[in-house]
Formats: sequence, C-alpha cells, structure tokens
Amino acid sequence: MEEYHSGDEVSFNPDDASNVVKECIEGIIGGVDYSQNKVNQWTASIVEHSLTQLVKQGKPFKYIVNCAVMQKSGAGLHTANSCYWDTTTDGSCTVRWENRTMYCVVSVFAVAIAL
Amino acid sequence: MDDDQTVEESAFIVDEVSSIVKESLEAVIGRNMYEHNRVSQWTSSVAEQCLGQLSKLGKPFKYIVTCIIMQKNGAGLQSASSCFWDNTTDGSCTVRWENKHLYCIVSVFGLAI
Repeated sequence: MEEYHSGDEVSFNPDDASNVVKECIEGIIGGVDYSQNKVNQWTASIVEHSLTQLVKQGKPFKYIVNCAVMQKSGAGLHTANSCYWDTTTDGSCTVRWENRTMYCVVSVFAVAIAL
Repeated sequence: MDDDQTVEESAFIVDEVSSIVKESLEAVIGRNMYEHNRVSQWTSSVAEQCLGQLSKLGKPFKYIVTCIIMQKNGAGLQSASSCFWDNTTDGSCTVRWENKHLYCIVSVFGLAI
C-alpha cells in the first residue's frame, strides 16, 4: 500500500460513496427489465464496479459492498445492518434504487486500516 | 485483549459464525409469518443479536452484519458482495434461511484490526 499524506482528510464520506454507487447502478441496470438469467451477472457487476471506483479514491480503508436486487411483485423486503467497529473512522452508506421492474439496495461499509 | 491467543483462535471461523447466525434467526423469527409491522424490528433484532454473540467471542475483529428479510410470494431476489481487504486475516459468512412465509439472508464480515 502506498503511503498516505498525514494532512489528508482520512474519513469516510457517505455522500461521495452514495454518488459513486448510484452511477454504477444506473450504468448497469438503468434501463433494463428484471431478467432471472441476467440478474446474477448484474449484481456481480454492480458490486465489482462500485468497489473499483471506491478503491480508486486511494483512501486507507477496507471496503465491503453488499447488493440485493429484487423483482417488483408486491413482496415486502427489509434490510438492516449492524456494526462493531471504531465510530471515529469507520462508516457506511446505503443506497435504495428502483425502476419499473425491480428494486436494488446497495450497502457500502468502509473500515479503517490500522496504520 | 489477550496477547497469548494462537493464530487459530484469532481466525475468522465460518462454521462458528454460521451457527451463531442460525441460532439468532431461529430465536427471533422461528416460524413466524411475515408481518409488515414487525419485520423492521426482526431485521434489527437478528443483526443486533448476531453482533452481540460475535462480540462475546473476544476476537480482534471489527464486525459488520447485514440482514435481508423478504416475503415469500414468488419474486426473485439476488444478493452479492464484493470486498477489498486483507485475505490472510479477514473473512465473511453468508447464511440463507427460510421458513414457510419468508426468506432471510444474513451476511457477516469480520475485518481484523
């Protein structure tokens, strides 16, 4: 890992992460309908692209990206997260996105690396 | 934190975590039907209970628990995760659980300090 400058702001910015994730979701499943055959590939692409963009920011974090895509058919869906970490450095954000045929919930967690 | 722990005792053991998750799911949801008003509470309870049990293990990890509960009425649900971490120390475990009325997916991530 390359060295980080001590002057840099080393904290997780939920708004930045949220924008990154929304761009990835729009890019991959923006205008398509739910397809059983392709959804596996879509979820994988969303998490991989989101993670790649987050890593490019070059901050000293370990990242976890979790994605759930669900077909719109009237079923109820709840998600919840619980964390055991250092609240001064670690953070998370959750993005909820939907189109005509499906819902997508993406959670991003950033855990600081002990330097 | 104990300094004399062996490497094995400090590892993220998937089977152990899986058991903890299943116990929590059975305890909180068991055979309950999907109830819109209570599911929010259930997801929180499952995640909190898993986290509580994991903390008691006394291992040097930061934990993240995500829980998804979905009503069973034929809709498709796909879940995936991607991680950027240290493969030698960090680990994750995903449990898929269901009863007659709902599906539940719990993912646990352990990141070494």
